Amino acid sequence: MTRQIKILAIALMVLYSAVFLKLNQIQVVQAHDLAHDPRNSRVATRDFARPRGVIQTADGIVVAQSTPTDDQLKRLRQYPAGPLYAPVTGYFSFTFGAAGIERDYTDYLSGRNLGSSVKHLSDVFSDKERTGNVTLTIRDAVQRVAAQQLGNRRGAVVAIDPTTGGLIALVNFPTFDPNPLAGHDQKAVRDAWNALEADPAKPRLPRAYREIYAPGSTFKLVTASAALERKPELATKSYPFLRQLDLPHTNNDLPNFGGSSCGGVMPQLLKVSCNTGFAQMGLDLGTDALLGEAEDYGFGSRPPLDLAPGSVASRFPDSSGWLRDDPALAQSAIGQNDVAATPLQMALIAAAIANHGVLMKPHAMGEIRDDEGDVIRRYLPTSWRKPITADVADQLTQMMIGVVQGGTATGLALPGIKVAGKTGTAQTTGKNAHAWIVGFAPADAPKIAVAVIVESQPGLGDVTGGRIAAPIARAVIQAALNAP
Amino acid sequence: MIGIAPSSPRRTELGLIVLAVLVTTGAYVLASLGKTASLPANVGPFLIVIVGLLAVAHIALRRLAPAADGVLLPVAGLLNGIGYVFIARLNKDLAGLQAMWTAVGVAAFIATLAIVRRPRDLERYRYTFALIGVGLLLMPLAPGIGRTVNGARLWVRVGPMTFQPGELAKIVLAIFFASYLVEKRALLSRKNLPEGARSMLARARYFGPILLAWGASLVVLVAEKDLGSSLLFFGLFVTMLWVATGWVLYLAAGAGLFGVGAAMSFAAFAHVKERIDVWIDPWSRQSTQGFQILQALFGMGTGGLAGTGLGLGDPQRIPAAETDLIFAAIGEELGLLGTVAILVAFLTTVGVGLRIAVRARSEFEQLLAVGLTTVIGLQAFLIIGGVTRLLPLTGVTLPFVSYGGSSLVANYILLALLLRISDSSAKATA
Repeated sequence: MTRQIKILAIALMVLYSAVFLKLNQIQVVQAHDLAHDPRNSRVATRDFARPRGVIQTADGIVVAQSTPTDDQLKRLRQYPAGPLYAPVTGYFSFTFGAAGIERDYTDYLSGRNLGSSVKHLSDVFSDKERTGNVTLTIRDAVQRVAAQQLGNRRGAVVAIDPTTGGLIALVNFPTFDPNPLAGHDQKAVRDAWNALEADPAKPRLPRAYREIYAPGSTFKLVTASAALERKPELATKSYPFLRQLDLPHTNNDLPNFGGSSCGGVMPQLLKVSCNTGFAQMGLDLGTDALLGEAEDYGFGSRPPLDLAPGSVASRFPDSSGWLRDDPALAQSAIGQNDVAATPLQMALIAAAIANHGVLMKPHAMGEIRDDEGDVIRRYLPTSWRKPITADVADQLTQMMIGVVQGGTATGLALPGIKVAGKTGTAQTTGKNAHAWIVGFAPADAPKIAVAVIVESQPGLGDVTGGRIAAPIARAVIQAALNAP
Repeated sequence: MIGIAPSSPRRTELGLIVLAVLVTTGAYVLASLGKTASLPANVGPFLIVIVGLLAVAHIALRRLAPAADGVLLPVAGLLNGIGYVFIARLNKDLAGLQAMWTAVGVAAFIATLAIVRRPRDLERYRYTFALIGVGLLLMPLAPGIGRTVNGARLWVRVGPMTFQPGELAKIVLAIFFASYLVEKRALLSRKNLPEGARSMLARARYFGPILLAWGASLVVLVAEKDLGSSLLFFGLFVTMLWVATGWVLYLAAGAGLFGVGAAMSFAAFAHVKERIDVWIDPWSRQSTQGFQILQALFGMGTGGLAGTGLGLGDPQRIPAAETDLIFAAIGEELGLLGTVAILVAFLTTVGVGLRIAVRARSEFEQLLAVGLTTVIGLQAFLIIGGVTRLLPLTGVTLPFVSYGGSSLVANYILLALLLRISDSSAKATA
């Protein structure tokens, strides 16, 4: 019998060894996958239930905070301003994850990367956890004005500090209330999410940086930059006065809005937003120069932006099949055809001109402090691109001042302050057009650059951009310059 | 006699008990710190109870079985203690009951040692035990007292008391199997197989008992829907039959019958098919039948190598974390280090148990020690294998660790019997 007992011992040993191997598979080999499996809510619940710092504006208004609750998730994330900051803060949802500042700085907000808090022995066993508070570059005073001015019209307002890249206001309509997504009743959360998804107006889409629109005449700033940078002789060329430009290789003509006649040198063309002049300038430049300039400004690249899931890239049309003087090139030079840009990108163009040709990386985070008020991270302004020289920037600035003083953007004029601007109208369907304006002020020492789009407004012609978008930008600039 | 038997096993035992108490108390304090960041208010009573119970058991062994092995009791105490820490951490109400059941278990341990003075006393009552064993096994089927819990009918309720008679049945049946097989081992051995009697009919005599055990296991499976106990009983009998006779054909027959039974019940019984389906693919049933095993895997995976720390995990997400799936809760908070420690504790118990079997002075004692060790070793393997998805999940308790009065009391009785055999062989060789 002893022999069998010894064999039995070995057999049991083998069985337990199999368990040992299986345990190693579960707890070592697959451990990470199992711990982070989306169906394993342990990590998610713990993260969600952690204390979380506040998000506040540069002028001290709290726009996201956590309040204690009794349930398993422990803390409810609240957004006191409701939909106003949704494209900035994003949302923080147990079921649907996070977006915006909530996602980009989640490790700071939850204190996970603040290091150990062991300052006293008692801290070792205390459940006090550190959190980080994010201060935005957004200023509530400006953000509110931008939202009020835009009202219930579809569109977006992006205001940016051209010297730092810090966003001063970022508004779009429609928007959404992030509060229901942060709720603890996950059925209600799903219902709220599904309602947002089903809405054809796409309220959850932060269109200020994730939707692209035909930029219309605001794109003429790129065409003008290309001429100044790449073919200076075009900057002094006087274009003939025309009502319409006869496009090559086609029977179509490219008319000026309202059939008006315009021409002259570049400042004159820009002042009245002369389509025929800029279209011809585009043909004179050629595809490579125009495409190259657009890419220098950031077209074709996703601008770095700390608002998850980030900005989409603006688009210059695929020119691979174009002829040397293709009609599409002429149309692209005036921001039509397939040119499409985010409102953020257009604000960046204005900001680059304002900042003497240096395009700063856009960002919404100003600084992060721990719960004892010590700064743990401060945003360091960095340049993203240098699309134009300081000299070209100054020339463009002078021209844009002219546009505000006596051109299509007079609606942007402010008493006692030099404002630079450029309007745009991009025809969408029939008699409707996107009304655009970009600008910055004060023109000699810019503090704010702004881009405004109001979608699908009735009426064509560059007066549309001036009439509809300019007052919004004007109010935003005024608010930004008034409240320091 | 007592003077001759060296006191060293008891001294070893005392030292190991001190270690087990330290580990358990440390774990208890850490679990409370982890969960509430404060020292447990009742750490004093806790210490008194655990020290008291182990001390009482130790003193009883000094008096009743002084030469018995000194490792088994501390290992059981450690498993019991770790189990208690997790039960207390998961469910305060159950913790008090588990403490009470531990006391009852220790009392049963001492009573067993006091009553069973010589292992061979048990041999005499083999058919009584057979009757009791079968009775206990079938008790849950009795109308009026049988209770169905979670789909399995393995509970009995008498007055205010509920218990699982199957837990006791496995011990009683191990005693019966041991005495029966010792008596018949010559008859059932291969060398006894007459050269000419190769007909099916002649062979039937040899395979009658195993067929009977197989049938009984199927009854348990079908009538009580208890996959775990069914496997355990059949595995126990086949193992003991083979150890007694040394005839490999019995193992083959056991495997074959198991295969047939498994195939039949897979085809015929929805609850068996469901267990197998969930075992093969829990992922596509993640919110229904697969939920439990996935939560166990998620828990152990989240624990990883070193665990989340006591009181710092979410083992309450695992259904039945206090009972059958307590191993997964340990894996979550103590990690691979903790689960391997539990594994080693059971392996130690198995090793010591089989060493007792080898050294036992009579065939009955040998076989009984094998049976009792197999019960613990196989049961722990079944549930740990189930929790880790090495095997389909079968609802049996993890001996000494899981919450459950019947299981605790039965396992302490089992421990007492093993120690009784150990003591008697040590005295005989001394």
